[in-house]
Amino acid sequence: MRPGVLLALVWVALGHAAASDPQAVLRAVVDSQRGGSLRATLTMEVVRPERTTRFVIEIASDGAERAIIWVRAPAREAGQAFLRIGESIQLYSPVLRRVLRLPPGGRGDSFLGSDLSYGDLAGRDLERDFTPRITAQTPTQITLELTPAPLAPTPYGRVVVLASRPDLALLQMTYYDQRGRAVRRLNFSRHLEVQGRQVPLQVEVEDLLRPGQRTNLVFSNYRFGVTIPEACFTIRALEVGC
Amino acid sequence: MNAMDWFCVFICPWRWTGRSAILSARRGVYLIKKSADSRALPRLAWRNLWRHRRRTWLLVLVVAYATLTIVLFWGINNGYSQSVMNGYARFLAAPVLISTQAHFADPDPAHGLASLDFLAQVAAQPGVLGVAPRLQFAGLIRSAYASSPAEARGVDPGLEARVSDIPAAIEQGRMLAGPGEIVLGRALAQELDVRLGERVVLDTSGLAGPQALGLLAVGLVDSGIVLVDRGLVMVHLEDARFLTGLGTATGVALEVRRGQEAQVAQALQPILPPGVRAYDLTVLLGGLYEALRTEAASTFLIGLIFSILAALAVTSTVLVSVLERTREFGMAIAIGLNPRRLAQLVTLETVFATGLGWVVGLALGYGLNFWMATHNVLGPLFTGFGGAFEIMAIGDQIYTAQSPLFALYAALTILLAAIFSILIPARRVLLLNPAEAMRAE
Repeated sequence: MRPGVLLALVWVALGHAAASDPQAVLRAVVDSQRGGSLRATLTMEVVRPERTTRFVIEIASDGAERAIIWVRAPAREAGQAFLRIGESIQLYSPVLRRVLRLPPGGRGDSFLGSDLSYGDLAGRDLERDFTPRITAQTPTQITLELTPAPLAPTPYGRVVVLASRPDLALLQMTYYDQRGRAVRRLNFSRHLEVQGRQVPLQVEVEDLLRPGQRTNLVFSNYRFGVTIPEACFTIRALEVGC
Repeated sequence: MNAMDWFCVFICPWRWTGRSAILSARRGVYLIKKSADSRALPRLAWRNLWRHRRRTWLLVLVVAYATLTIVLFWGINNGYSQSVMNGYARFLAAPVLISTQAHFADPDPAHGLASLDFLAQVAAQPGVLGVAPRLQFAGLIRSAYASSPAEARGVDPGLEARVSDIPAAIEQGRMLAGPGEIVLGRALAQELDVRLGERVVLDTSGLAGPQALGLLAVGLVDSGIVLVDRGLVMVHLEDARFLTGLGTATGVALEVRRGQEAQVAQALQPILPPGVRAYDLTVLLGGLYEALRTEAASTFLIGLIFSILAALAVTSTVLVSVLERTREFGMAIAIGLNPRRLAQLVTLETVFATGLGWVVGLALGYGLNFWMATHNVLGPLFTGFGGAFEIMAIGDQIYTAQSPLFALYAALTILLAAIFSILIPARRVLLLNPAEAMRAE
């Protein structure tokens, strides 16, 4: 047997094994949306029945535990900055000209009035908090149902994850409450292949309990795999940038 | 009717009829003048009261009203203060709380107790009826729909009921049975739209950095105290230790007999480790305790004003009575009655009338007070004020307090009425010129 054919067979066999192991599928789906280190501009549109607010945000992330966010527009919000290191979030207020540590009570507050909370910025590990189960798969899509692990810090009853096959690009996540009602949905689109991963460039967050409320996030000017200087993840960088 | 007849009407302890009445009146005068044991004077003063029944009842009514008001006023005021103290002692804090001085100044888990080795020694101290370690910290509680900041109290479920009324105030569900569970206020549960058996997330940031746990709601508290029902959650001590990273506790709550808090706290100081103190309820209440004391002082002032007004009302009525009886008094002096004794008689009449009013007022006041101490009449009134009382640890059930001291406070009216009577009507009697007085219309 030629080595190329053998390699192809091994690849298919591994892919099949991953597709049948829910934990491996979930890990692959989560990995696919992480494009490693990143510098990008994020346009965040907060849609409310009475108005729509558009934010322009700059992001630098090491692709792991650290990220820094600067708000550039609108003028009323410009100058605000957020530094995440692990689960800790610090924010800079240009009005106060001070850096504040987000208290535990503030983690549930809305991030810039959007449908994302500061807790969402800190990130929650789907792999750590949930036990996955494959509920459906077609040649082009796979559906995972995630149920919370005991004592998992999630208020949701289950999360349904929809991913494409075979690249396992994340397409949709629907959060259900503990009474079986869908309360929140994230739609991922415009995937970009970065180092073999499918990174979504557009995310729509829908509040299913409040019709007409949603937040659209679109990445632009993105540069993946760049080296982010250590100086970017400092308090000083919140005020002066890096 | 001649002068002697008038005198007899005024002074005779029996009905007067002709000459025998005059003779008897003379005997009455003689009694007043000569009686060594002064028994005749009170007897005559009492009888005089009922010669003008309407006036006497008016006096009694005024004093009874003042007494009733004072008793109720103190009952409500003390009941309110006791509700606040009880709320703090049994729901928000403890009768006595042991913590580090640093934690008392800055309630952060980082300032928790280094060790709980002293617990057994504290529990063995006289006056200590219960001991329960607590780990209190600020957190955020989240449901799938909303989130709210809350004060979390890590407790040992088996010990907490001995020092707190919160376990007994669980209206739905049960107390914590082990780790992984949470008890929260009914109002907070409604705000978060959480039902029994559902998971909520408790976030905090302590020595262990940002941490979160998903906890099963097993009990809903309905204490009637807003600060508890909307802002306090109870979790197992082990979960609190995991979330904060503190392996011990932030404090130890003690149950002691009411009124002995300061004494027990003082007695505990020598056996506590360095930097650890026992704080009694008055210290834990801080400025609120001072506010309650100030309120009690202002209540006394208001009560004093009530008493003065009632005493002045009595005095004015007595003065009118004296003015109406000027001729009688003149005749009494003319036939030999000492003006000083006559003034004493007027004062005694005042004291008797106010005393009677006091007794009637006490009966009504204590009766009403008892009713309000056993029925929640005040609760809906106070809670009707809304936010103004939310910061106080009072619930929707407020009862009046009972104390024999209230009768003493109300007796001030009698004392003041007697003093005013001596100063005004009795003095007027004392200065009467019999010749002029007998000509008075």
